[in-house]
Amino acid sequence: MFATISAGAQDCERIVQNCEALLKSNSNGSEFISDGQVYTAFLDRQEVAEFKTTLFGGTTYRIAASAGSKENYVIFTIKDPEGNILFSNHNYKNAPHWDFKVLETLPVTIQTKMDSDLKLTGCAVMLIGFKK
Amino acid sequence: MIKEKPLILLLIGIFSLASIVSCNNDDTQDQITIDDEIFDPNSSLNTIFDGKIFSIPSPVQTAYLIKQLDLPFDATLLIDNSNDGEYVSEFKQALNLGMYGTDLGYSTLYNQKSATMKYLTSVEKLASELGLDAAFDTGFLSSYDENRQEDSLILLMSDAFRQADNFLKRANRKSTSALILAGGWIESLNIACQLNENRSSPAIERRIGEQKRSLSSIIEILKVYTSKDTNKELIAEMESLKESFDKVMMTYEYAAPETDAENKLTTFNHKLDIAIDKSILQEIKTKIAQIRSNIIKV
Repeated sequence: MFATISAGAQDCERIVQNCEALLKSNSNGSEFISDGQVYTAFLDRQEVAEFKTTLFGGTTYRIAASAGSKENYVIFTIKDPEGNILFSNHNYKNAPHWDFKVLETLPVTIQTKMDSDLKLTGCAVMLIGFKK
Repeated sequence: MIKEKPLILLLIGIFSLASIVSCNNDDTQDQITIDDEIFDPNSSLNTIFDGKIFSIPSPVQTAYLIKQLDLPFDATLLIDNSNDGEYVSEFKQALNLGMYGTDLGYSTLYNQKSATMKYLTSVEKLASELGLDAAFDTGFLSSYDENRQEDSLILLMSDAFRQADNFLKRANRKSTSALILAGGWIESLNIACQLNENRSSPAIERRIGEQKRSLSSIIEILKVYTSKDTNKELIAEMESLKESFDKVMMTYEYAAPETDAENKLTTFNHKLDIAIDKSILQEIKTKIAQIRSNIIKV
């Protein structure tokens, strides 16, 4: 007999907390300031969530993404206004967080999906932080 | 034998319990069933709309830019908070909470204790009226009394707004979340426009122009997350503002990013030219001031 679990709001909330820890971890002790938003999506198989945002020049950003207790479930990709891929964490073992030094302001599209080799479906959370 | 039966039953019970516990601790999907709520597009878990999520840049970033430019603190740019107890509708409360948040960030960065406490009181009041006490709790409030450094307070403030955003989305109150974000952006843009009017700054003019895409996102988010057409007038005003921003020309030139994998750092090397002349700036300043005025009035 197997118990069934509901992957509901509580699961997403736990993942938000995982993600908050990723935003704060920094080798030199400084923290990234949250942009004040939580980006949450339920992704099923090959579904992709995307959003457009602007990364301001003269700033270093951190993008943190989580979909569970293991840290490499989420693939996130950043594209420029022309659709060029500027970065994908899939090239770095689905690293759960990455920093971006933005010299000049850049409108980007960020796409997020589950790595279907590791997790098919569930709540994915992304947080964006910045430091001056 | 009678004595063995309870032992067997105990072992079965333990085995069953172990199975349940191991299932609860396992992330594999074949043992998970999904709530119907997950598939409900109106569910708080689904912030996707047609596959899109919305993002509005934090107003704190513009405040940091202003401070970096060594511009003096100007309290006249900020809201006179005498109305903060007078807003009855959730629409006005949410917009003004966003705006007061921006003013709080600006005064905090400049270490203006008196102004900071004034806006902190307003934020606390509006947050309470919107049912966001958990995000702006006594811990958050007492931090401002502890004489912390400005950066530490900005961190706390941003975390509090993020918690409020999370709470609202989980509670199916995305329209309120959208209004708080919109209010913060409007106040931030107004401060930038007024500062530039007082003392022209290419850096601030550029930052104003850079808001072009953020405005499009805000209009989208207000259209999608609206409750009973309450956003209609605001959307119309923002679309008029967009007509001015549409005249801002952005020219993007790609350059390959550089990645330092060891430090998990990628540097974006592109170029982005922004052309925004005085007449466009004047239009934007006038329109955003009017939008702001309409939000502040009771």
